Amino acid sequence: MKTYTMDKKVFPEFIKLVKSKGKLFGPIKQKNKYSFEEINDSSDLDFDYQRTIIGIKKFLTPPKYKTMIFNKEGTEDVFDGDETNIVIGVHPCDIHSVKILDRLFLANIKDPYYAKKRDNLVIIGHSCLPDDNCLCHSTGTDMVEDGFDLFLTDLGDYYLVWVGSDKGLSLTIAADNLLSEETTEESIRDYVAWQQKRSSMFKKGMPSFKYMADIMNLNYDSDVWEQFGEKCLSCGTCSLVCPTCNCFNVEDIIAMNTEEGFRERQLDSCTLPYYSVVAGDHDFRPNRTARLKLYYTHKLKDYIGRWGQPGCVGCGRCVTYCPVNINVVTVSDALFGEVCETQEVCE
Amino acid sequence: MWKRDEKKPVIGIFGFSGCAGDQLAILHMEEHTVDFFTQADIKFFHMAQSHQEVPKVDVALVEGSINTQRQLKELKEIREMADVVVALGTCACYGGIQYLGEDEETFKERMKYVYGKNGEVPEFLDLVGQPKPAQPISDFIEVDIMIPGCPISAENFVPIYTKLISGLKPQKYPMPVCVECKYEGNDCFLLHGKFCLGPVTSAGCNAICPSLDVSCVGCFGSYEGANFPAMIDKLKEIGLTEEDAIRKLKMFGGNRVEEALKGD
Repeated sequence: MKTYTMDKKVFPEFIKLVKSKGKLFGPIKQKNKYSFEEINDSSDLDFDYQRTIIGIKKFLTPPKYKTMIFNKEGTEDVFDGDETNIVIGVHPCDIHSVKILDRLFLANIKDPYYAKKRDNLVIIGHSCLPDDNCLCHSTGTDMVEDGFDLFLTDLGDYYLVWVGSDKGLSLTIAADNLLSEETTEESIRDYVAWQQKRSSMFKKGMPSFKYMADIMNLNYDSDVWEQFGEKCLSCGTCSLVCPTCNCFNVEDIIAMNTEEGFRERQLDSCTLPYYSVVAGDHDFRPNRTARLKLYYTHKLKDYIGRWGQPGCVGCGRCVTYCPVNINVVTVSDALFGEVCETQEVCE
Repeated sequence: MWKRDEKKPVIGIFGFSGCAGDQLAILHMEEHTVDFFTQADIKFFHMAQSHQEVPKVDVALVEGSINTQRQLKELKEIREMADVVVALGTCACYGGIQYLGEDEETFKERMKYVYGKNGEVPEFLDLVGQPKPAQPISDFIEVDIMIPGCPISAENFVPIYTKLISGLKPQKYPMPVCVECKYEGNDCFLLHGKFCLGPVTSAGCNAICPSLDVSCVGCFGSYEGANFPAMIDKLKEIGLTEEDAIRKLKMFGGNRVEEALKGD
């Protein structure tokens, strides 16, 4: 991986240059929240943030988008995402979430709608410091080696700029006069000290993921699910804010003239009623408990079984945004607690 | 279910007790108006037409709650004459605000207070029929599809309506306001200790109030997956009394809130 340093004084110029390559988005503070919004210049950006409400998935699996238009003559596929979207300020957890989405949408069967958006997305990561709800050190997603085009590590007066792809490389070539290839011993020291400081800041943790799949299995019929099911509002917030949740509903919408229409994907949530209704109107998961169990066993068990890694990237969004405190931490704590009490497997 | 053939589907739009806002909302869908009146045979439209003979219809769109005996009789006639009955708007779906006065005893007291004597409406008002506490249409007849709203939005109404007039089955997929609120990327009021009924309220409004920094008061009526006891706990946690929480839920929640809280 090629590395440069960039003086923060030239950062506004760097932003100008990046902006000339596509539509530029970055974290912006809006009252109590942060959001990836289009930016005009570097003064709009606010990198002192932990998480946006909706992660980078909003550029890859937007809440609603057309995939087809149709009329009496036939159908025509619609592929959104002709424009290059450049997102700056993306944290390691969100970059990991894109890696997970890539695996789902591009690995075996390529989803052409996602692929188009992904091809035209440029990710410029940014280093971060955790707050109390960050869990990425537990999920092993606090560092990134790939999945980004450029990554900026903030070391006070300057950035370390890591190059992660050809797209990133061509950006650095264009920004040649703003970057320095020299890496001094001082910057190595700065970097190590910064990493140590960051590591020491994590407060909340999850029980080890080594056992998570097994714990989920052992607890499949636990009362814990019922307790959470009683509390759950079925509001769908956890799925919508989760950077790896990507389930969608498909609806054909006919225009009032009944001659034409379009097919739309709508971001869905497995915590909603009717999510698991199949032909013949059978509902596999007719209550909140069953649906919540699906959400967590999928994210924390099935992903591990299938990919060796949970579907959670530790961004802390469910921890922050669930109105009734049901999240990866409270659920896994409760499950580990249950097993610890009965099976004496925990220390 | 009704099947589309060569002839245009026959539609009736009926209104009972409510503000008539849903009928008005249809007329206000201006980009769709021409198509609306040409794609189907609109045989009865209380607000838009003057002839008022109730015909046999393929699809009946019924707005408003039922609160006179005469309305009840008419509603039953509509059910018999229509293949598909759609409840249009929160009043028809769940009873609306007027469902707050649903309690039989207090209703009688109020009638006495207004009309004196035994509380009966004078005979000369027979054209509306004797009043009764307001109830949603689903309390009396089978409803095939519900489109809540206060009033309904075009975005919600058109996809369902166009499927019906094309002889297709509309998708039933209830969601709470929170889903649309997160589509918009909004922060959550409840997390900041502020009142909001998003988690128990039917979506369809595009979370317009929360997007403008105004809490949801629940005007689209109860969401099918609503967990009322947990919502009451949450509202208590942010400082409401149980009584206040229930009052707020009941404002637009109608019969569903009533049923959900019966067990308590």
